[in-house]
Amino acid sequence: MRVVILSSSLYSETACAMAVRMAKLGQVPAGALALSTLNRRTLVRKLGQLGVGEVARYARAKLIPQSGNSRERVVNPHLEPWLKRDVGMFRSLREVAAFYEFPVAFCDDQNSSDSIARLKEWSPDLIIFAGGNVLRKQLLEVPRLGVLNVHLGLLPEVRGMSSPEWSLLNHIPIGITIHYMDAGIDTGPVLQRSEYPDVAQCESLNDLRNRLVAFGVERVGSVIEGLIRGTMFAAPQSDPDPDKDRQFFVMHEWLQKRAAERLAASRRFTVAGPVHG
Amino acid sequence: MSFSSKLKPNPGTDPMIEPAHVRRANGNNNNKDHNNDVTAQIASALIESTGLLRAPQRIGPLVQKVVSDKLRITFEQRHLYSYTKNKRSTDEALNALLRWIINAQRPDGGIAAYYSLLTGYSESYPEVTGYIVPTLYDFASMTNDGQAATVAQRATQWLLSLQVSTGAFPGGLHSGSHGTESQPSVFNTGQVLQGLVRAHAETSRPEILKAAVAAGDWLVKMQQVDGSWSGPAAYQDTAHTYYSMVAWALAELSERSSDDKYGLAAERNLDWVLSHFNPSGWIDGINLKGHPDYLHFIAYVLQGALECGIVRRRSDAIQMVAKSAWTLLRKFETNKYLAGAYEVDFKSGAQFTCLTGNAQMSCIWLRLFEMTDDLRYLNAALKMNEMLKQLIVVRGRRGIDGGVSGSYPIWGRYQPLRYISWGCKFFADALLLEHRLTRSFDVSTSEALSCAS
Repeated sequence: MRVVILSSSLYSETACAMAVRMAKLGQVPAGALALSTLNRRTLVRKLGQLGVGEVARYARAKLIPQSGNSRERVVNPHLEPWLKRDVGMFRSLREVAAFYEFPVAFCDDQNSSDSIARLKEWSPDLIIFAGGNVLRKQLLEVPRLGVLNVHLGLLPEVRGMSSPEWSLLNHIPIGITIHYMDAGIDTGPVLQRSEYPDVAQCESLNDLRNRLVAFGVERVGSVIEGLIRGTMFAAPQSDPDPDKDRQFFVMHEWLQKRAAERLAASRRFTVAGPVHG
Repeated sequence: MSFSSKLKPNPGTDPMIEPAHVRRANGNNNNKDHNNDVTAQIASALIESTGLLRAPQRIGPLVQKVVSDKLRITFEQRHLYSYTKNKRSTDEALNALLRWIINAQRPDGGIAAYYSLLTGYSESYPEVTGYIVPTLYDFASMTNDGQAATVAQRATQWLLSLQVSTGAFPGGLHSGSHGTESQPSVFNTGQVLQGLVRAHAETSRPEILKAAVAAGDWLVKMQQVDGSWSGPAAYQDTAHTYYSMVAWALAELSERSSDDKYGLAAERNLDWVLSHFNPSGWIDGINLKGHPDYLHFIAYVLQGALECGIVRRRSDAIQMVAKSAWTLLRKFETNKYLAGAYEVDFKSGAQFTCLTGNAQMSCIWLRLFEMTDDLRYLNAALKMNEMLKQLIVVRGRRGIDGGVSGSYPIWGRYQPLRYISWGCKFFADALLLEHRLTRSFDVSTSEALSCAS
């Protein structure tokens, strides 16, 4: 199966882990298309999302070579099983591509005609979306099977952004959904829904997100295997209340704090059990 | 009841829509076409700019504001994560807003309609003075601020002096000159009624309830069979769905006076308003001839119908408002921006934003959160409030400090170059609601997470 990875940046750990995961399955990617690292829109969004300090720390971890004695760090430690190599860690798609020998291309817009042409050159059966732009119809129609996304929430219950946090606040089970993308936001046919079993182990919202990303990378492998064997099929999302709009949006920090409190309370509850008066 | 009304003879006009001198120039012509409207705007700009000749010290703040808005719209990059972080304290913003309102109280006790960067403070405005009273009492209650309550009491006393023998309150700005004939206004009477009902709840003064009941009786008397209000006491002589705000005031009076007559009248109007809701969520019947459907008036329809629906326990009203409010919420979340005016079905938004309308939408979303427990409404309101907090000046000259401009950028079509009292009122309401709802928010700790473990 010819698989192509779409990435939000050359340094995306998720995209790197996803590429390694494919390679270890014997499905070395046919190519990877990453947004330029200095893409203005991406930078502005990341600064808004993470703040200057976090973006600076991330850049330092990726761009400055580690000293001989210091242990190489990754931002998401739960991706280490895929990012670890004989010496050190994969720090960019370029390193992964050089190791497994597949091409990497860059673009400012994944939907541009140049990007589409490049993707068509790779004639993919499947594209794995590991971040980037909102994908347009023209791109979605390039691969034979479709564009696959790992959504950090259960579909159709939680569509859109900040899914783990919204799940926490709305008493929706925490999990991931692997689905084909269509023109809507997280509305495409579902290949696999998986609840995450270790929520009680999560130390923070960030830790929960990191774990879910790693959980998704793990699960994508089994989905690809199922697709190759012909045992995995996508099903349209079955919503018992189709009139209800299930899209969620980026969560304000005040509500994020409440979600974090809920996660912490749940951990206390899990450890101590309910207290009855 | 006093008859010392001193209002400009300008029947059925509304300073919320266009500057007073423009209305004078137009002679309140209901059929003025677009060309006249543009001409009037140019005339308005020329007339108002002569204010700078009288007070050249205003040139500095004017240039400063225009340049700062120009820089902001040029370099601001809105994205998915915009307004998700608290950059400004809610308490600081709320104090600044109330400082603006208190500073806007005129010697007669009324609240000015606006502070113009060209001409300074306007005359007192009965309509806003009325419905700013609940905001003042809410702030006083939250902060134990005696000054806010005192301002509310003075404002109420002034309002009582304006009521005419029929029970109505006049439209337009208050000129202060004696002997001119006042023109009753349904909308302004409804808005003033809100303030009277609240003032009575706070003070239990019988003369306030008597004035409120007289206003309510007049509104019931003026109501058409279909539940709407039209005729000479309505703006441009025609019926408007945004008069749902009047229905809300009547519903409140019904509760206060324990007389269902007012509640039934409120519901008659509510039914009429709801019959104008389209499946898309759009509302027909705003009916502002010569003006676009500003977000302020769209939000008025929604706010009035929602609050009336809540008081009268009309779940159909709440659901219909929720549908429209959700459409606007999606637009705000997607673009981090609401247009200052929309065309039918919320299409083709204008290139400026109406800050008052934004603040009203925040109030509506917060109330819908309270009604439905859908946290997405709270989420959108928190972001909207954050956006608005970033757009108010918390340190500046009197009239600018804490002010909410009509439009952003300041030269946008809705109330250009002005800081408007009703903008401060609605944004203060939104922050007060945010304060109340976030304080009472409870993260349930009584059950474990729903997960596979």
